[in-house]
Amino acid sequence: MTSQSSCSWLKTYLCSSIGKKQLMAITGLGLSGFTIGHLTGNFLLFAGPEAFNTYGYKLTSNPLIYIAEMGLIVMFLMHLSVALKLTMENNAARPQKYYMRVKTGRGAGFASSTMIYTGLIIFAFVITHLLHFKFGAYYEIEHSGVVMRDLYRLVMESYQSPLAVAWYIICMLALGVHLSHGIHSLFQSLGINHPKYTPIITKIAYILSSFVTVGFSSIPLWAYFQGVK
Amino acid sequence: MGGNAAADMKLNLKIWRQDSEKKQGQMVDYKLDNVSPDMSFLEMIDVLNNKLVREGQDPVAFDHDCREGICGMCSMMINGIPHGGKKETTTCQLHMRSFKSGDTIVIEPFRAKAFPVIKDLMVDRSAFDAIISAGGFVSVNTGNPQDANALPISKVNADLAMDAAACIGCGACVASCKNASAMLFVSAKISQLALLPQGEPEHEKRVQTMVNKMDELGFGNCTNEAECEAVCPKGIKLENIARMNRGYVKASILGRPL
Amino acid sequence: MSFKLDSKIPSGDIREKWENHKFSSKLVNPANKRKFKVIVVGTGLAGASAAATCAELGYQVSTFCIQDSPRRAHSIAAQGGINAAKNYPNDGDSVWRLFYDTVKGGDYRAREANVYRLAQVSASIIDQCVAQGVPFAREYGGMLDNRSFGGSQVSRTFYARGQTGQQLLLGAYSALMRQVGNGNVKMYPRREMLDLVVIDGKARGVIMRNLITGELESHEADAVLLCTGGYGNVFFLSTNAMGSNATAAWRCYKRGAGFGNPCYTQIHPTCIPVSGDHQSKLTLMSESLRNDGRVWVPNKVGDKRNPSEIPDSERDYYLERVYPSFGNLAPRDVSSRQAKFRCDEGKGVGSSGLSVFLDFRDSIKRLGEDKIRERYGNLFEMYERITAEDPYKTPMRIYPAVHYTMGGLWVDYNLMSTIPGLHVLGEANFSDHGANRLGASALMQGLADGYFVIPYTLGQYIASTKLEKVTTDHDAFKEAKDRSQKQIDSLFAVKGSKTVDDIHKALGKVMWDKVGMSRNDKGLKEAIAEIPKIREEFYQNVKLSGDKNNMNPELEKATRVADFLELGELMARDALERKESCGGHFREEWQTADGEAQRDDEKFCHAAVWEYTGDKSVPNRHTEELTFDNVKLATRSYK
Ligand SMILES: Cc1cc2nc3c(=O)[nH]c(=O)nc-3n(C[C@H](O)[C@H](O)[C@H](O)COP(=O)(O)OP(=O)(O)OC[C@H]3O[C@@H](n4cnc5c(N)ncnc54)[C@H](O)[C@@H]3O)c2cc1C
Ligand code: HEM
Ligand code: HEM
Ligand code: SF4
Ligand code: F3S
Ligand code: FES
Repeated sequence: MTSQSSCSWLKTYLCSSIGKKQLMAITGLGLSGFTIGHLTGNFLLFAGPEAFNTYGYKLTSNPLIYIAEMGLIVMFLMHLSVALKLTMENNAARPQKYYMRVKTGRGAGFASSTMIYTGLIIFAFVITHLLHFKFGAYYEIEHSGVVMRDLYRLVMESYQSPLAVAWYIICMLALGVHLSHGIHSLFQSLGINHPKYTPIITKIAYILSSFVTVGFSSIPLWAYFQGVK
Repeated sequence: MGGNAAADMKLNLKIWRQDSEKKQGQMVDYKLDNVSPDMSFLEMIDVLNNKLVREGQDPVAFDHDCREGICGMCSMMINGIPHGGKKETTTCQLHMRSFKSGDTIVIEPFRAKAFPVIKDLMVDRSAFDAIISAGGFVSVNTGNPQDANALPISKVNADLAMDAAACIGCGACVASCKNASAMLFVSAKISQLALLPQGEPEHEKRVQTMVNKMDELGFGNCTNEAECEAVCPKGIKLENIARMNRGYVKASILGRPL
Repeated sequence: MSFKLDSKIPSGDIREKWENHKFSSKLVNPANKRKFKVIVVGTGLAGASAAATCAELGYQVSTFCIQDSPRRAHSIAAQGGINAAKNYPNDGDSVWRLFYDTVKGGDYRAREANVYRLAQVSASIIDQCVAQGVPFAREYGGMLDNRSFGGSQVSRTFYARGQTGQQLLLGAYSALMRQVGNGNVKMYPRREMLDLVVIDGKARGVIMRNLITGELESHEADAVLLCTGGYGNVFFLSTNAMGSNATAAWRCYKRGAGFGNPCYTQIHPTCIPVSGDHQSKLTLMSESLRNDGRVWVPNKVGDKRNPSEIPDSERDYYLERVYPSFGNLAPRDVSSRQAKFRCDEGKGVGSSGLSVFLDFRDSIKRLGEDKIRERYGNLFEMYERITAEDPYKTPMRIYPAVHYTMGGLWVDYNLMSTIPGLHVLGEANFSDHGANRLGASALMQGLADGYFVIPYTLGQYIASTKLEKVTTDHDAFKEAKDRSQKQIDSLFAVKGSKTVDDIHKALGKVMWDKVGMSRNDKGLKEAIAEIPKIREEFYQNVKLSGDKNNMNPELEKATRVADFLELGELMARDALERKESCGGHFREEWQTADGEAQRDDEKFCHAAVWEYTGDKSVPNRHTEELTFDNVKLATRSYK
């Protein structure tokens, strides 16, 4: 109690179980937004090198990108650190484990019980992904007179090994599973649950998460079968 | 009388035995014959206990009182699920006809840091009382309040409040939750009072003091698993947790400091 | 030691007694209240409401209960509802009518002044509970809904689904927990009262067994409020919770509190019948079922046909036949007895022959299954869960079961027992219900006692009594503690071969067969001879195991059964002495030509109050004459 009362109201809120949950929800929402945006952007790959590279160029040359990236990093790190803290606290809340624990089948699903694992897979993915793309080989190309990074080539090259494709797809499955629970769960965390809308939200969550998995997976598959010309 | 010999069942029981909070416990195997399918689960344990006493052994301690699903005393995990997993059924309402002869039944106490084991299957749930005393009430003294009909309450809200108020404080929600979170129990009380005009004036304060107390007592954090709702013998809905979440953020961010 | 019964009924018109009494009662200076310690044993409706209210007034309160939380007291199980003379439906109810109905329902064996006060404060109870957030059922317009209950001709019963007791108790519990949070109440759950400590003739403390550690604890106080509920479990099988017991009240009796009308027991007609020897308790099905269900047995003795194969012409709808105007809604005692008569004739149904049908076939035909499901869905589910029979398809089987005890420790108008300072509230006292309690009136009485009566009368006692300081070092505490410890040690020392349950079942059988629904001279005398034998068997052949200095539910049962074994005998004695039939007490020798209860107002218009005179001697029977100035004694008739 003493540690609580010395906290300011904001700290009390953020330290509370509900505060932490809502931080997860807000950062999760932000990250989901990015993911979906990123996915739609990435679809430009199908439109060929010029469209995709120009899109990448436009994005990176906009100074606002730094703010956006900062925001993304903060959200990501917050989501990660709160997730770890929650998981540790939750483990501590049941020091003596059950001899036998079974799910009823009416409540928790696979996705909700594995959030930390799917999350950690996503974490590993994002690190390798950044090393690969953001800090990976820097090819240049000229489109319509402007020299820009040839991300198209980088992407296409990356997906020539079946192993790389498989790893991506596994990660995308993890992401999809994470989001299939995450997207509707975040509404519950923020206090939005209504007999009329919650079923709709849940459906949308499944549609979106499948869309993310299928969408993101389609790219490496397409790249693999397309081959580098 | 019921329970003819042909229908009698033989059971293998695996029961958690622990002498007291501080002592180590372990699973112990028991065999029990002559179990009638008409018995309730607790009557089956009564039969076992009478057998143990006759053999000079320590009977299995377990909590129970009303044996009709309303007091919230009975509390064990049966085959890995609090109250045995039959929809909206407490342990005391479970009957042996849900099992087959020859079955092995695993029985252990509710487990959570906030629910230390007292003996065998009996746990200490006083943390729930502590949460209620932190704010689960309307601050009204006995006296001469206004007439009961002075404030009309919409039937919808009265019914929703009653749904939430049906919680029997059994703790199955905590026991089933992979995070040992008490959100369903706490949100049921907060919702009941938030839905009624009598509870409304204190809602902002109540939601904060109760949630803070819950956190302090070592329950885990909710990750929206929904297993609590699935095992709750009184069908308390997750909607209540959402109501509490929104009440909490609103009170914490927009409300006056406590 | 012998007591004199002074009911302390205030003078004046019955309508003004309580007001006048409140005004003439002394008040305790608000600043002084926190100097007085009040022990409240029991946290049911009576205990929780009293503890919360006394703490609000400023007393230092300690509460004790057997369960792990005050919220689990047996009051939680009450289903049907709570009466109050609000007259919201405008159907002719009034304080006077509730008073009148309660006195009549109790077969004119209750104290008029108490019953009037009960009716008077009933309306405030509803106001208070609503203010606490109790979610009573409402109509679409937002107003409180009422129903008629237990054969009453007005709708004065407030309810919260089928969980009225739970909701009222949670309301009182929340008020109590608020005071715990404020530091005005110290709460001691998982404690069992084993003795009352009397110093200088006044109740000054209690001995409690800490059920977790087995330790005996002493607690001192300026007044003790005993709110420990009823003793129906003396019958082994009853609708009471497993932990309900007589121990606290019985040990007060042994310290000098008079025990009033121990033989008044209420048998509830609609319970789920016993299914086998393993049965540990009985489950009540709400009486409201009788609004749409028809009670019958086959005409032919031993007719074992499937009920659907028995044509109407071969069915005996006996309640409708015997009581054409009340029919299936005849009062509890009357319907229970009729069911017993039918089973005694050999017309009972089910494999045991100890049940009657409650049939919804006709109302399902008339109203449709949906309507019935809407009204009784949860009850039907409960029935099916327990019996595995579907009441939509096949008639329910019901049988009467012990449900409530009108008897209890005798109290005066101030709810004080014959031991000064020992107040008794709720079902534990000998109550305002006379020889029979009306449906939905126990909840009303418990809360009336706790919220609205005791705060005044306790103040009067404390303000007008010289209370020297006592501590738990006083010899009386040591003596009481030794006595309890000795009993525990001696029970462990027996090392016999019978379990506590074996003995309790044996007692229960004698009680049910001979001191149950219908009693006679021969049976009662047999019971008085047999019960001491069972008691002897208990002390010579009981077997306990486990550790006495640890959580030990077997030991808890044993100390309770020890007291039931004595109380049972007193109940039989009381029943034997009351040579009349009234309410729940039916003596076969006193019935009308058509089998109805026959009171003897000449000789028995009194409460019988028993005084303990030692373990080996027969207790003294005192009487408190009951005078009826406002209600005319009449024969209850439900024809
Ligand atoms: C199934 C059922 C349904 C009912 N339905 C209705 C209804 O619809 N309407 C109605 O008006 N009435 C009803 N009644 C009756 C009513 O519920 C009870 O009479 C009433 O609740 C008793 O309240 P109480 O506060 O006196 O005692 P209880 O609620 O029985 O509380 C007793 C308290 O005393 C404690 N205690 C007991 N012994 C000891 C001890 N030795 N040491 C320490 N603590 C002790 C217990 O822990 C508990 O806290 C029903 C009863 C039953 C059994
Ligand atoms: C660093 C890697 C990640 C880890 C370790 C992680 C872990 C978790 C965990 C444990 C939860 C459950 C917490 C709770 O419900 O309270 C969670 C929720 C969530 N995560 Fe992640 N996650 C990660 C990355 C992501 C990413 C990249 C996204 C979006 C694309 C995302 C979206 C969500 C959403 C929407 C929720 C639901 C929040 C809520 O229920 O309130 N997570 N995450
Ligand atoms: C197979 C599908 C994907 C492809 C083709 C892809 C492609 C790219 C490319 C080319 C970049 C580099 C952009 C730059 O440096 O400007 C990038 C950056 C990034 N990608 Fe992906 N990506 C995919 C999936 C994902 C997924 C599933 C996530 C996480 C949920 C993700 C998260 C990121 C992040 C965080 C960056 C850094 C953005 C920045 O710094 O602005 N990507 N991606
Ligand atoms: S919410 Fe349900 S599971 Fe949890 S304590 Fe209440 S009744 Fe039990
Ligand atoms: S199961 Fe646990 S995670 Fe939340 S929704 Fe229920 S408390
Ligand atoms: S014993 Fe009361 S709910 Fe199970």
